[in-house]
Amino acid sequence: MAVTLEVSGVGKDFLIPVIDSVSFTVEAGEFVCLLGPNGCGKTTLLRIVGGLEPPTRGRVLLGGEPVAGSGRHTKKVGVVFQEDRLLPWMTLRQNVELVLIPLGVGAHARRGTADRYLRLAGLGGFEEYYPARVSGGMRQRAAIARALAIEPDLLLMDEPFGALDAQNRRIMQTEVRRMWRETGRTILFVTHAIDEAVAIGTTLIMLSARPSRIRVQVRNDGERDRATLVDDLNALIMEEVERQQGASSAS
Amino acid sequence: MSAPRWASRLHLPTLGVAAVILLGWIMLSWRYGAYVLPSPLAVARGFADIVATGEIWRHTAASLGRILVGFGGAVVVALLAGLAGFVSRTARGVIHDFLSVLNSTSVFVWIVISIIWFGLSNWAPIFTTFMITLPVVASNIVEGVANVDRRLLEMGDVYRLSGRQKFTAIVVPSTLPYLVAGMKVGFGLALKVSVVAEIFGVTSGIGYVMNYSREILATQMVFVWALVMILVMTATDTLVFDTVSRRLERWR
Repeated sequence: MAVTLEVSGVGKDFLIPVIDSVSFTVEAGEFVCLLGPNGCGKTTLLRIVGGLEPPTRGRVLLGGEPVAGSGRHTKKVGVVFQEDRLLPWMTLRQNVELVLIPLGVGAHARRGTADRYLRLAGLGGFEEYYPARVSGGMRQRAAIARALAIEPDLLLMDEPFGALDAQNRRIMQTEVRRMWRETGRTILFVTHAIDEAVAIGTTLIMLSARPSRIRVQVRNDGERDRATLVDDLNALIMEEVERQQGASSAS
Repeated sequence: MSAPRWASRLHLPTLGVAAVILLGWIMLSWRYGAYVLPSPLAVARGFADIVATGEIWRHTAASLGRILVGFGGAVVVALLAGLAGFVSRTARGVIHDFLSVLNSTSVFVWIVISIIWFGLSNWAPIFTTFMITLPVVASNIVEGVANVDRRLLEMGDVYRLSGRQKFTAIVVPSTLPYLVAGMKVGFGLALKVSVVAEIFGVTSGIGYVMNYSREILATQMVFVWALVMILVMTATDTLVFDTVSRRLERWR
């Protein structure tokens, strides 16, 4: 079951404050894109939400349960990292099966589930391939299949297409959008590409320059024209980038 | 299965140089006599002799037996060190420091000490082999454990793999190539070292029989046993270690 994600007053200091204070709520089944200039702490925020890093301030609730640094909560979180992080010595199928073991899924059902999600990710027929034998885009698809296979309450994606070329990026955006529609998962997607965010997200959250806060939060439900939205967001992000560079050259 | 592969491995230029060396060997052995440099023919005849009498198996088996115990023990201890290094970062530091001490200790130190401790027995070469190969194998394993991709371990955390699941699915497969590389180097070292240690106090093994051949002025047999050593080393390298490495690299 997809659940509500509540981020309230979350901040993080690494010697200097990186994230000042960020609060937002993601309703079940939403596709939220987190935008912002480079180095504004998008990835850090995602890692805090995923329980991979403790926040300095604030808290994260997933379906009402606090997400601690240790990840002791009972909710399932799937993460797609910038790199595929597949185990190179396992086939694509074995990679997906592996994450089903801790859920107590039996061997037979593991195989069925793995194959189903690999097919969903467009990898039918490649189950027996080792990651090194397929393309980068296919590896990232496998990583997405792995994250979806645990049927996560929340799916976190950290610039998952950053390493792909423009064509593959476009294809993968459409694919992720399709997988989201077919599975109904709650997704938090980090990207620095505005056109990407506008193309796939239902809600867009833009962070400001360091120390970051939410600069703007918009719904992207088709009521606003996409081209104007992209232009508006581009103008905003330029402001933030300039502010960040101004701040760093001043200090 | 692979006559062409063998043919391609026997490079013609290498064969040419080998022929020149052989020719030089023959001439030098004429010039200096069989005691200093026995002729290739005498060595070949000696080799045929020990194969016919079965002596080759007796001494090779004795040496390999000692290596198996000493080197095998070193591999077991090295694996434990690797495990400790995985569990605790402090342990890894301690192991690392002790390994560099062991690494810089001479073979001769261990030979002398082992004779004092174990007398003229099988245990002297076994102990020497153990002490010399341990740091080589262990430092490889510890390095392998230290080089396990943190990002993969984090992936394991995300999907809530247990410590044991992470160990078998991530740590072991990424450390195995280091283990095999360490064992390959370690085994070569074990063979060389145990043979030296066999000069003292035992009455079997390649080292013993080489030294004995020297004492009875049968220089050609010294060459024969050196040849046996080379064959054993090449055989284990190609038959055991290369095969294992190839299997491990299947997924690349």
